[in-house]
Amino acid sequence: MLEISGISVAYGKHLAVDRVALNVKPGEIVLILGANGSGKTSLLKAIAGIQPAAGATIRLAGRELGGLPAHAIVEAGLALVPEGRGIFGELTVRENLELGAFARRARPAEVRNLRHVLELFPRLGERLGQQVRTMSGGEQQMVAVGRALMSAPSILLLDEPSLGLSPLMCKELFAALARIRDDGLGILLVEQNARRSLAIADRGYLIANGRIVGEGSAQDLRNDPAVQRAYLGAAEPGLTAPAQDGAGSA
Amino acid sequence: MFVAAVASGLVLGGMYALIAMGLTLQYGVARIMNLAHGELMIAAAFAAFWLFTSAAVNPLVGLLLVVPAAFAVSWAIYRLLLTPLVARAPNRDALEVDSILATFGMLFVIQGVMLAMFGGAYYSYSFLAFPVNIAGATVAANRLLALGFAAAIGLGLYLYLTRTRLGTAVRAVAVDPNSAPLVAIDVRATAALAFAFGGALVAAGGVLISMFLTFNANIGVVFTMKALIVVIMGGVGNLLGCLVAGLILGLVETFVATWIDPGLTLAATYAIFLVILLVRPQGLFGTASR
Repeated sequence: MLEISGISVAYGKHLAVDRVALNVKPGEIVLILGANGSGKTSLLKAIAGIQPAAGATIRLAGRELGGLPAHAIVEAGLALVPEGRGIFGELTVRENLELGAFARRARPAEVRNLRHVLELFPRLGERLGQQVRTMSGGEQQMVAVGRALMSAPSILLLDEPSLGLSPLMCKELFAALARIRDDGLGILLVEQNARRSLAIADRGYLIANGRIVGEGSAQDLRNDPAVQRAYLGAAEPGLTAPAQDGAGSA
Repeated sequence: MFVAAVASGLVLGGMYALIAMGLTLQYGVARIMNLAHGELMIAAAFAAFWLFTSAAVNPLVGLLLVVPAAFAVSWAIYRLLLTPLVARAPNRDALEVDSILATFGMLFVIQGVMLAMFGGAYYSYSFLAFPVNIAGATVAANRLLALGFAAAIGLGLYLYLTRTRLGTAVRAVAVDPNSAPLVAIDVRATAALAFAFGGALVAAGGVLISMFLTFNANIGVVFTMKALIVVIMGGVGNLLGCLVAGLILGLVETFVATWIDPGLTLAATYAIFLVILLVRPQGLFGTASR
């Protein structure tokens, strides 16, 4: 279980993330909903150790991660798929996935994890020798998620994974995320596609101006008029439809 | 005559390729433009000379002593002298400027120590200096041996970088240092490793060159410049580019010295450098990762 409290990120005088507290349990997808510039990306970067965060308590399975360098945080079992994916475009799919297992914690189960990733994204198995930058956006996102899974994380952080993806790719990706959750991983998801992500999420937090302003089960958030207005387009009749894309429930 | 020129061109080019591979690792991965690169090479040449003349150590055995020592020294230089620069640099460009100034100073320190120990005279020693006949041309055995070792070391490095996990991590840092921590790569430790490998490579080049070239304490900068030209010609961070560009440089220099005028070799070097900069500023093969 990932427990975070008092995490703040400042850029000069501007406070992008203001004393945020949240938690993610194994086997659940937790969604962070917020407008552009509300601090979602800064929050994920701070948790992953890429962005310096003041006064944060970040506990993963009881172990304190606050202040550790980014590479040590991956080693502790927390993997980030950043916005823009952060994959190694010049290297092949296979090399990217192998590098995913660079963490010592990932070595013993590397073969099993690779099989699992290729089962989750069969398309990658057909293209192991391809240079990643020559692939489509959706395929690159699969490489990014697959690479993160190769590090054998207990918690996966995803920043806008559906950005720029075709609807079909999007659907495939979210189905994969639901399967990853069902395997027992905790997922902290930042998404602009509120409809689709609320359909697979278990819980969610609302963030505005760097602060948590609300939280609840995905069900409650879907029915919350404010959420509907802000993120779903008010009084949509099709609200139940995307739920079918969720590929089963937890 | 032609075969002889090609053979010695390849030998010289192989040496250029080897030391340029060292520089491209240091620059492409650790982002340190090491102006003292050639000085480390000459220091290794002096070490081989000293081992051979005072302790009768075969230079090929000398490799086993000098190369690990150069690896350790380079690693320590990165950790003690360059890490503070890396830590305070706000971005890559600032680090490049700082590292150029710092290694420029280091150049004079290493050169000064060598001048104090050996003076400015030229040194050489005779090791396997008998001629070997290849297709009607004669080439000294020590040159062929140097070429063979350079090829083996270059191939070994290539396989290490492309076939091993740590080698792939080194390339990942070259490609995208910001993303490398996402897969648990410690970027500074990897940069230190790459810098140390660069030092080991140029030291190997120094030992091999000492078997057949005369050298003195001041000549390092010439090799740094040539390595720099080869790196830029081949594309920064590109090992295969280093190999091809190094061989081209060696062959052109030898051809010019043989058929035109030995005094024009440096002019020819810069002429092809200029042509490549004008036609393909990204280098012959661009900045790829292998």
